Amino acid sequence: MNDPHILSAFDRDLEGIQALIMKMGGLVEVAISDATKALETRDVELAEQVRKNDAAIDALEEQVNIEAARVIAIRAPAASDLRTILTVMKLAGNLERVGDYAKNLGKRTSALVQMPVIEGAPGALRRMGRQVENMLHDALDAFVQGDVELAIDVRDRDEEVDQMYNALFREFLTFMMEDPRNISACMHLHFIAKNIERMGDHATSIAEQVIYNVTGEIPDEERPKGDNTSYTFETME
Amino acid sequence: MKDIQLENRAVTDEKTKIAANNVNVYYGDTRAIKDVNIDIKSRTVTAFIGPSGCGKSTFLRCLNRMNDTIDSCRVEGRILLDNEDIYDTKVDPVQLRAKVGMVFQKPNPFPKSIYDNVAYGPRIHGLASKKADLDGIVEDSLRKAALWDEVKDRLQAPGTGLSGGQQQRLCIARAIATSPEVLLMDEPCSALDPIATAQVEELIDGLRTNFSVVIVTHSMQQAARVSQQTAFFHLGNLVELGDTDHVFTNPTDPRTESYITGRIG
Amino acid sequence: MTAPSTAASTSIMVADARTLKRNAAEKRFRAYGLAAIFAGLLALVLLVGSILNNGASAFKQTFIQIDVTLPESKLDKSGVRDPEVMKKATTVTYAPLLRDGLMAKLDELGVTDIEKKEVGNMISKEAAAQLRNHVLANPNLIGQTIPFEVLANGRIDGFFKGRVDFASAELDKNVSPAQLNAALALEDAGSLETRFNLGFLTAPDASDQRPEAAGLGVAILGSLYMMGVVLLLALPIGVTASIYLEEFAPTNRWTDLIEVNISNLAAVPSIVFGILGLAIFINFAGLPQSAPIVGGLVLTLMTLPTIIIATRASLKSVPPSIRDAALGVGASKMQAVFHHVLPLAAPGILTGTIIGLAQALGETAPLLLIGMVAFVREYPAGPPEGLFDPATALPVQIYNWTQRADPAFVERASGAIIILLLFLIVMNAIAVMLRRRFERRW
Repeated sequence: MNDPHILSAFDRDLEGIQALIMKMGGLVEVAISDATKALETRDVELAEQVRKNDAAIDALEEQVNIEAARVIAIRAPAASDLRTILTVMKLAGNLERVGDYAKNLGKRTSALVQMPVIEGAPGALRRMGRQVENMLHDALDAFVQGDVELAIDVRDRDEEVDQMYNALFREFLTFMMEDPRNISACMHLHFIAKNIERMGDHATSIAEQVIYNVTGEIPDEERPKGDNTSYTFETME
Repeated sequence: MKDIQLENRAVTDEKTKIAANNVNVYYGDTRAIKDVNIDIKSRTVTAFIGPSGCGKSTFLRCLNRMNDTIDSCRVEGRILLDNEDIYDTKVDPVQLRAKVGMVFQKPNPFPKSIYDNVAYGPRIHGLASKKADLDGIVEDSLRKAALWDEVKDRLQAPGTGLSGGQQQRLCIARAIATSPEVLLMDEPCSALDPIATAQVEELIDGLRTNFSVVIVTHSMQQAARVSQQTAFFHLGNLVELGDTDHVFTNPTDPRTESYITGRIG
Repeated sequence: MTAPSTAASTSIMVADARTLKRNAAEKRFRAYGLAAIFAGLLALVLLVGSILNNGASAFKQTFIQIDVTLPESKLDKSGVRDPEVMKKATTVTYAPLLRDGLMAKLDELGVTDIEKKEVGNMISKEAAAQLRNHVLANPNLIGQTIPFEVLANGRIDGFFKGRVDFASAELDKNVSPAQLNAALALEDAGSLETRFNLGFLTAPDASDQRPEAAGLGVAILGSLYMMGVVLLLALPIGVTASIYLEEFAPTNRWTDLIEVNISNLAAVPSIVFGILGLAIFINFAGLPQSAPIVGGLVLTLMTLPTIIIATRASLKSVPPSIRDAALGVGASKMQAVFHHVLPLAAPGILTGTIIGLAQALGETAPLLLIGMVAFVREYPAGPPEGLFDPATALPVQIYNWTQRADPAFVERASGAIIILLLFLIVMNAIAVMLRRRFERRW
């Protein structure tokens, strides 16, 4: 944890693997921010860029997994080292999924450009994206610093994302009921909202892994959830 | 999830076999073991880990009074085997050692035949009156030590002619031939190659159904593989005792953490 | 990346100055070592060679075949053939008979230019006694003429072994050229021959006048008795003491003191043990002088430290893991020692014991002080009484013979050394054999 290993190469391995994760995190944060910006500004080129950049994230994930397998095989990590390696592998998976969602955002943005503008939605989605981006950033900070409180804070903030999603969900329903020509655009926007909400879930998952990494316990208490759209059907009647 | 168990690694018997209370061991004026309190459960493999000179072997040797052979060694405190103090003046260490067997670091078969090696303990303790009984004990012990099939055709061959791993299993067979209740192992695999080590580890796991096993090992991986309970010794102190699963994924004491992750020697 | 220039200078194809110097030093050292071994071998060859050269002839002796007439008038006037009565006839009576027999034989061969006295001197002074004993044992031989083999005088024997020649005989008052001529004539006639002499190994010592009759019988017996005493006393005492010290005794100032003393005792000059033996066993305990028992006791004292040191060393060399193994299965300390440690240490103990015995066998100095240097003609009785009879010992006998004037004794001393060396070689061979036989790997 704080002391260096007797075997300094082990330290270098662990540091290297964490550096890969941080790099991956950076790329993912950029991808979220760029994807939501492209959506708001209807910038097809930027959207295209986001789609292309996802390959780098995927490659990093693979690299992290290979490195992690190598460390397990060679160093036989135990206790906190073992938890770090396990956490890193899960983090890589989470980040890769977030990257995929960002890529999906880019794709849908390219399609949305040809559709009528839904007033207010892209701005709201960008705010939502920024929120998730911050969560991700904090979760990774918490990982690097072993900061459990920050991780718990990130976990709690997911509720806000969920609530933003709920609001957007209702908004899109309204738009679609108003004018069926909006349905196509709203469906895309809804998927985008849902994807950003999933990104938030992944950020939460990362925060939970950080808590496990530091304490050795997986937080099992029900975390606050704001996503209640599954009950929305009843309100529709 | 509770009904599906990947492997039964948990402690199966909560009964305490050996209880040590405030044990201090001195070599002359040096205090090698400091106020150790530990409960060793029956039918459980307990691993003692710790850096060299931490006292784990010393403490192990206290459990069957092998330390008596060292003049300057003095043991304070109480060690109870089934609630009887093994350091009581009424206790004859010879009788104790028949109950608490020991396997050593280096395979040390007697330079006699395989049969005589195993039969020695039962002979001196008078456990078998007839030749047939003795044959039975020898076969049974060799079977328990997973060596019978390899040596049944050459029981009269010298025990020193076996391979390292076979020699160590022979020593285990010799130790269990006196039907001990506790088996102490002092780094039993340190002189063995990985295959022989695996065979001995498999054997230790099997012995758990009959004996309470205490194993001192320098290999943390070995402790993790074979034991249900792990005790970490550091500078003569018992730092941590707990379920092996717990100690190796999330130890409580920072010193344990540092040791098993390779941060202190 | 190293620069090419340094790479070239460190090529392994060219030896640098330091390496050359080192190799030269090594070669020099090997040469010194070979020279040292060669010097040692040379010394050994010279020693053994000279002893064999001087001593081999001691195993051969010259015998003369004589027809002796045993007249009743001289040997048994009473005619009753009672040995008790016949004992009155002493060797003085028998000697002329032998002389006359030889005279007759020489006359037959045509050797006449020799005085009667000279003829008598050709025969060993021992011969008359032998003939007397023979007749006393077989009284009915009286009145007959019997063939009898006698020892030739030491000078005649020396002539056939090259120690005496005509030139030296001229100057020697004990032998004359006439005698030598007579001896040659006898040899031609087949009445005189030089052959293997069992008497050298079995006969007792003889006086200065008759070296040809002297043998090692008493010395060998005395040495064997002493070795028996040493073995019976030193081995059990030494081994018991060592086992106690090594396995049971606590380590404290007292055991340290004992240990130091044992080591010192091993270095005490052997003559000191002789003085001790004289003071304690003879003067204080009142044991007889010259007796193997006293010699044995003294040598036991001398051998004990050797045996104790050897035994402790071999006990120490048994790996402690064997003791642990035995104690670990619940053997008592004594069981561990006697079942496991002692059998493993046995070859070392036996080797140490035999080397100690060999040392004792060759020891002279302490025996001189307890009177074993005495001239002993009588064989000691069988053990155990024989242990209290006077006897001598091989090394003392050698010492004794080298002090005598007659050169024939020098030859016998060398012969005795050969016997002593043979004993030592046999004992060492047994030690090596035991070691090989019982040596076990663990």
